[in-house]
Amino acid sequence: MTRFAAVYHAFGMIVMLFGLTLLAPLALSYAVNDGAQTAYDETFALTMLSGAFLWYRYRRGKRDLQIREGFLLVALVWTGLPAFAALPFVLQLGMSYHDAYFEAVAGLTATGATVIVGLDDLPMSINLWRHQMMWLGGMGLIVLAVAILPMLGIGGREMLKAELPGPMKDSKMTPRVAETAKGLWLVYIGITVLCVLAYRWGGMTWFDAVCHAFSTVSLGGFSTHDASFGHFDSPSLEWIAIAFMLFSGINYATHFLALHGRSLRPYRFDPEAPWFVGVLLGSAFLLAPYLTWEGTHGDFATSLRHSMFHVVSVATTTGYATVDYGQWPVFAGLWLLFLGSFATSAGSTGGGIKMMRAMLLYKQVYRELIRTMHPAAVYHVRLGGAVAPQSILFAVLAFGFMYMVSIVSVTLLLALTGLDALTSFSAAVACINNTGPGLGGVGPAGNYLLLNDFQTWLCSFAMLLGRLEIFTLLVVLTPAFWRR
Amino acid sequence: MERYAPVFRALGMIVMLFGLTILAPLALSHIVDDGAQTAYDEAFGLTLLSGFWLWYRYRRCARDLGIRDGFLMVVLVWSILPAFAALPLMIQLGISFTDAYFETMSGLTTTGSTVLSNLDTLPMSINLWRHQLVWVGGMGLIVLAIAILPLLGIGGRQMFKAETPGPMKDSKLTPRIAETAKGLYVVYLVVTIACVLAYRWAGMTWFDAVCHTFSTMGLGGFSTHDASFGFFDSPEIEFVSIVFMLIAGMNFGTLFLAAHARSLRPYLVDPEAGWFLAVTLFSILFVAVYLLAAETYPEFLTALRFSAFNVVSIATTTGYASTDYALWPMFAPVWMLFLSSFATSAGSTGGGIKMMRALLLYKQVYRELVRAMHPNAVVNVTVGGQVAPQSILFAVLAFGFMYMVSVVSMTLLLLFSGLDILSAFTAVVASINNTGPGLGVVGPSTTYEVLTDFQTWVCTFAMLLGRLEIFTLLVVLTPAFWRK
Repeated sequence: MTRFAAVYHAFGMIVMLFGLTLLAPLALSYAVNDGAQTAYDETFALTMLSGAFLWYRYRRGKRDLQIREGFLLVALVWTGLPAFAALPFVLQLGMSYHDAYFEAVAGLTATGATVIVGLDDLPMSINLWRHQMMWLGGMGLIVLAVAILPMLGIGGREMLKAELPGPMKDSKMTPRVAETAKGLWLVYIGITVLCVLAYRWGGMTWFDAVCHAFSTVSLGGFSTHDASFGHFDSPSLEWIAIAFMLFSGINYATHFLALHGRSLRPYRFDPEAPWFVGVLLGSAFLLAPYLTWEGTHGDFATSLRHSMFHVVSVATTTGYATVDYGQWPVFAGLWLLFLGSFATSAGSTGGGIKMMRAMLLYKQVYRELIRTMHPAAVYHVRLGGAVAPQSILFAVLAFGFMYMVSIVSVTLLLALTGLDALTSFSAAVACINNTGPGLGGVGPAGNYLLLNDFQTWLCSFAMLLGRLEIFTLLVVLTPAFWRR
Repeated sequence: MERYAPVFRALGMIVMLFGLTILAPLALSHIVDDGAQTAYDEAFGLTLLSGFWLWYRYRRCARDLGIRDGFLMVVLVWSILPAFAALPLMIQLGISFTDAYFETMSGLTTTGSTVLSNLDTLPMSINLWRHQLVWVGGMGLIVLAIAILPLLGIGGRQMFKAETPGPMKDSKLTPRIAETAKGLYVVYLVVTIACVLAYRWAGMTWFDAVCHTFSTMGLGGFSTHDASFGFFDSPEIEFVSIVFMLIAGMNFGTLFLAAHARSLRPYLVDPEAGWFLAVTLFSILFVAVYLLAAETYPEFLTALRFSAFNVVSIATTTGYASTDYALWPMFAPVWMLFLSSFATSAGSTGGGIKMMRALLLYKQVYRELVRAMHPNAVVNVTVGGQVAPQSILFAVLAFGFMYMVSVVSMTLLLLFSGLDILSAFTAVVASINNTGPGLGVVGPSTTYEVLTDFQTWVCTFAMLLGRLEIFTLLVVLTPAFWRK
């Protein structure tokens, strides 16, 4: 195994860094004396020791990582960190490991599905840990999406490297991963702070404001309350959440450019942002009359409030709920899940196939239609002014296909092991899209506790598959990867 | 419209030819005096006159058809012939045009879903007409699939022109459409006769044997009995059916080569046949074991008998049922519908995306996995020993994507109009795959009668879309097609 020594060395370091983040809930636990202190002490020690061991054992393997190693590192980080993150749940709450791992994966992949009931009565530090994990996951995601995956060439991501709009090319993003990350994290941290203040202003307690800011900006959707956002029953808080969810659904690189250049121009040139916002607003405004007409809500204003909130929440793959939209006509719930499959921008903290790929896929289809009539025509598919090379188009198409195959497979496996059709399908979609709540048994009024062990592991796998954009995980699972 | 004059002229001829096929039920009706004579007389008159008028009006516009003409031709034939075919049903049974058109579209696209009840008491000639439509539809299909669509370059079909296996190239199928069609029709006819004799030998009446042969060869699935094959409750009949469904599920071109060379070698070299049979066989065993484990049947042989028939029926997109398999544990019928999406071979009378495309799609994904690890690797995708050019790969991928988009969109449409999710989804899948029965309210023990007019039209459209392999229909609906 020393072939991948460099990877294990880097992974060890990342585990240690992650271990350090445990200090926050640990400190809180001691400060408020909520009974979880021992759990954090033990987890902290175990994590640091394991990380240190790996780092030390493979210290001679330290060098720059190559492509294949990049894949393995990404896969290890996202599957390995939850293994440690799950420990406080096991130690303090007495959860089984498969449930704890599921919760941790849901946190780090910013999915937001939960197996915990009685969120309102959890020790404060446990809630902080859940939400903080989500926030960190979002940070990791941004770097993954904007810097790492393009270098690995996953599913057409290379397109994003050149995605910067024409006139902006001089203020190009600094090329190295570390520096790119720094710039993006500043934006991410800045917006988080703003969100905390906004939630506090809107009426939340400081603790709730911090926790929900963590899960809003990361588009994760955890809450400190079983009733999710419905607990507050506050239109102003809902509108604040909507604003920040919309913000986080846009490419963070665009945000960085806008702030850096102190101008709104980057937004105009971002090829995904207008579609993202347009599709969401359009859906919200069309869904509202539908709900009114179907008698779900009494009047148009209420319908609009709920329609807007849930369209934004589910389409950005966040997963907050203010009402049980599982009770809505099933078309509405499925439409929301459908949006979550493609609406958010690449480079955001959202899930799904991403708007960029959806656009490329549609342009491809249009090209095929033209080619059907004019077989000799040469037609270039463009995005944001740049021509997409054949290799990217193939990657995106193959990605789209594997995405659908994954959903079908997970759905079939869930159905095979006993879940009903709606729950199986919506769970598969909600996990792969990293949305969180599905419909049926795993709808906003329920949770994932009803899954059996196999189904829980399957959904954990589905969340990882979606977050790592399928191919990253598949590559590492291919025999060819490990040969030679 | 003068631009497409040659198309209308050819269409006129085809309508007249189709009108001649009405003579069969017309004759039967007069012979057995089942009360439908007037209906056929009127339908025959109207069809022949319309066809004649069309032909006569454009008789001077004979010229070779170009690509765009070909598209329009195909779409017109498959949309207009059912309209004429609907006449006897409307006149004799008094059903609405919506329902009659659905029934005849179902017949001509060899789907086999029905809106009629009390099939056992229908006038004999009406049943003959229904089943004959499937058989004629199957003939049209073979030519469409093997000769026409490849020339039009739909969804990678060009690949199939050269699809004849390596060593067989000297006994290549005669290239011109007319001659190719002739060779295939001889095979089709011979197998049809064999099937009639086989059904008769197994115990059916002559009339049932002829009708069910028609719907077996076309892989349509109409029956003269409400209980479909459950009516016979005969393992021998089910066995005969399985054999002929499997034959018709494989490429008729391969069958022609095998008959021509008096050897089974063409089947061994056929890239799809092996997978089709393997997938089907595996599914039969898997479902049988699954049903046994779920205690649906008390012993293995019974489970195997019912599994074999119904799995083959649905996988080949035929749509017969020997039992109400919608009552089985849900995974089984869902798996069967999933099979119908891809199992049958191109050049068969089956539906779905076809095994050839499924193979190409998977090889594409594999190539992307390899490319992820080795970005500069040049990997060719080959099927049956031939390298698939880029243009074909793009066409197949775009086709796969549009297929899924179509399923999703039409499911959402049906949901929006009030149908429950299981019925909506399975109705769309069963229609677009030209399988026939879905699940829920459109399962094997019910009919499509329960759908509203709007829902019926959506399913009619789905059947047409699937049969014309999506792009053929889409192209004709694009504004660009009608310009210049």
